[in-house]
Amino acid sequence: MSPDLAIETLGGERMRLNMGPHHPATHGVLRLVVDTDGEVVANCAPDHGYLHRAIEKIGECVEWPMFVPYTDRVDYVCAMNANLAYCVAVEKLLNSDPATKVIVPMRAECIRVIVAELNRISSHLVAVGAMAMDLGGYTPFLHAIAQREGVNDIFEKLCGQRLTYNYITIGGVGFDLHANAAAETEAFLAQFEKEMIRFNQLITTNTIFQNRCAGVAVISAADAVAYGLVGPNLRGSGVDWDIRRDEPYGIYGQLGVRVPVGQAYAGRAGRVGDCYDRFVVRLLEINESVRLVRAAVQLLPPPAEKANDPLGGFQADVAKQLRKPPKGEIRARTEAPRGEMGYVIVSDGTKVPYRVRVRTGSFTVCSIFNTVMKGIFLADVVTVIGSFDIVVPEIDR
Amino acid sequence: MNLGPAVDALAIWLSGSDPAWWAIGLAAVAVWVLPLMAVVLPIAALGQIIERKVAAAMQRRVGPNSVGLDGVVRLVVRLSLPFISRAGQDRLIGRISSLPGMSLARTLGLGQLAADGVKMLGKEDIIPAGADGWVFRLAPYLALTGAFLPFAAIPFAQNVVALEVPVGALYAIAVSGISVMALLMAGWGSGNKFSMLGGMRAVAQVVSYEIPVGLAIAGVVLWCGTMDLHGIVAHQYNGSWASFLGWNIFQSPFLLLLACVLFFAGLAECQRTPFDMAEAESELVSGFNTEYSGMRWGMFAMAEYSEMILVGAILSTLFLGGYQSPIFENVIVALPVWLETLIHVGILLAKFTTVLVIMVWIRWTLPRFRVDQVMRLCWLTLVPLCLFALFGLALTMLIPSLVMPADAQATILGVAYGRLPAMPHLALGLVGHALVWIVPLALGFLLVIAARRKHGRQHPALTQLTGGA
Repeated sequence: MSPDLAIETLGGERMRLNMGPHHPATHGVLRLVVDTDGEVVANCAPDHGYLHRAIEKIGECVEWPMFVPYTDRVDYVCAMNANLAYCVAVEKLLNSDPATKVIVPMRAECIRVIVAELNRISSHLVAVGAMAMDLGGYTPFLHAIAQREGVNDIFEKLCGQRLTYNYITIGGVGFDLHANAAAETEAFLAQFEKEMIRFNQLITTNTIFQNRCAGVAVISAADAVAYGLVGPNLRGSGVDWDIRRDEPYGIYGQLGVRVPVGQAYAGRAGRVGDCYDRFVVRLLEINESVRLVRAAVQLLPPPAEKANDPLGGFQADVAKQLRKPPKGEIRARTEAPRGEMGYVIVSDGTKVPYRVRVRTGSFTVCSIFNTVMKGIFLADVVTVIGSFDIVVPEIDR
Repeated sequence: MNLGPAVDALAIWLSGSDPAWWAIGLAAVAVWVLPLMAVVLPIAALGQIIERKVAAAMQRRVGPNSVGLDGVVRLVVRLSLPFISRAGQDRLIGRISSLPGMSLARTLGLGQLAADGVKMLGKEDIIPAGADGWVFRLAPYLALTGAFLPFAAIPFAQNVVALEVPVGALYAIAVSGISVMALLMAGWGSGNKFSMLGGMRAVAQVVSYEIPVGLAIAGVVLWCGTMDLHGIVAHQYNGSWASFLGWNIFQSPFLLLLACVLFFAGLAECQRTPFDMAEAESELVSGFNTEYSGMRWGMFAMAEYSEMILVGAILSTLFLGGYQSPIFENVIVALPVWLETLIHVGILLAKFTTVLVIMVWIRWTLPRFRVDQVMRLCWLTLVPLCLFALFGLALTMLIPSLVMPADAQATILGVAYGRLPAMPHLALGLVGHALVWIVPLALGFLLVIAARRKHGRQHPALTQLTGGA
């Protein structure tokens, strides 16, 4: 029975429930104003802004390279990818004028893929683990977080940080890989693959879990495109679109990214574009990222003497170009774990950007909340938020 | 051991030959309730330790809750697996002990429990402004009452029971129903919408699951012909060394089915994952106990563990031979009374603990059902299963009595397990067993296969994710 019908026929009354800003399932300070009829959701309005830090305004006040640490804070669950998105955008701006052209060294490009894909793994681990926890499975969450620690250990050796890395720079990366990095990464990936099989046996194929997710909050491919969903949320609805493959940046074009899409993985009860599809797409992307990391390690050229060596270096010379970049407006987008992370950069030719605008996946997904949450159970609201993998700093910036 | 005279004597001592109502009440509390709490509260604490240790080991956590299991594991493996070679034991111990934190301390982290108790007592007692004062305050006490009272009827040994009631099984489920009121009062009285939703869910769920629990108990009552818990335990005594063969779960597949139903319904009764609708930490932010703090919350926690132990106690008493040992019960009953009592209490505690560990294991493995799925499971699966099992049980009891002599019936019904009957009845008994066990088990197996097939094949991507070919 639809909630409206129930209220009309039974003479019921709606209850307004504030989920958040401090609620365990909203993954941060997001507030959902939920009107319910008993346990059934009649209306759901997301209210955000609790974590707004004016990062875009800061972008207009600091010099080009000084904005990179702020991009960490745009999405701290995948700070490497956030760094990368901004740096790719600025490099695109510089390359728009032959006078300021920047060639990122090959070794730096490989390192970028390694760290971006490792960070995608750790971000997806948080996503699937947190969704399992939202549905009451606390053990798989801790197993996922334990694996994420492995990624953090690698990053800590690389750049000294465990959460906000400030590692990828305009024109390269901050530091070269340490001597043993390739072997350590491979050792981590080898045990990680075994551990993921156990994780999937524990939660992914669990019947209760499947029944909780199957057929809940189904988003059709047309709706997904119309509401501007991106990344795994878009692919979960069966839309075959991935920037890494379709508009490749860096060396992704050479790696041949395979893109998993939603296929009603839950079996009979499943529909393309339900919560379970979004969950499984993330798990499949983890496997793909493992492959990409290995491929990038294979491509890694040996380190060169000079840091700006176009093959074995890790940082191109950009200081001069950044003092006087070309004028103009540039749009660049990259595939972050939560979908397309796009930057619109307006330059007036000075060493400070005129405007920096960030386009993130978590923000646009908020627009579809009300549509998919009408008529589902309160318990499913948690499932749906978990399946969208919302990270609140990305919404508010 | 009937404590009634002791209550009378104490009441008379307190207020003369015609004792006043308050004297009787005081005496009852002193004689029945206090010793009972002295037994149940440590067991509840034990439940908490088990919960922490099992969860920490499963989640591979390092911390105060995961330390010191090493010694216990060593002891348990050495004692319980004597038939494995020493090298095999060492390998097993090494494997379990390599979990993080297992061997960091030798005190089992017991200090943590005392520290938690002190912390809870010392915490500020907050009553929200919107709370319904006395309802809010009364709820924890009711929860504890509902969790403790049923223990009065549980026989801990042949002569150790607080309350000799001839309808012990009925009494146990009747008084455990009080805790529903506690959940509803806590949910309503908190003045919090999440708490109220939790309270409502709890009532719907607990009231529904009392039906399969009642039907499962009815099956045992039907089989044993008595509601007296002592009588039910005594009925499971077969006088041979293989005493476990006399237990109710080994008597008939229908009783086994009822035992399973009782276990899962019990899990739902005490609001444990996957049935923790009322708490649902990630949905309702702990539901009915969101607003409770300090010792009031502690009482709810105590009640929860006591209820889990109660499920273990009822399951053991009704289906797992109660306080009886799985083997050599015939030797134990011949021992001096004090030794027999000691052994029996120990065995019952071991059975509680085993059931408790399984419940904790399930909690930290499975995710949570949705509200409607919980209700559907109860009304569309468990209740029909119970009715089916009851019907089958009644038939297995009825048919032999119509077609064969009484001693053959005894063989078939399993009363004479462990003793080899004479030839004609042995043959009859074997045929009877084939009918009673093999046919229903095979049918059940086929049903499971059919259900799996109906569910459909797993998507190849999932097979790949779980390491399949």
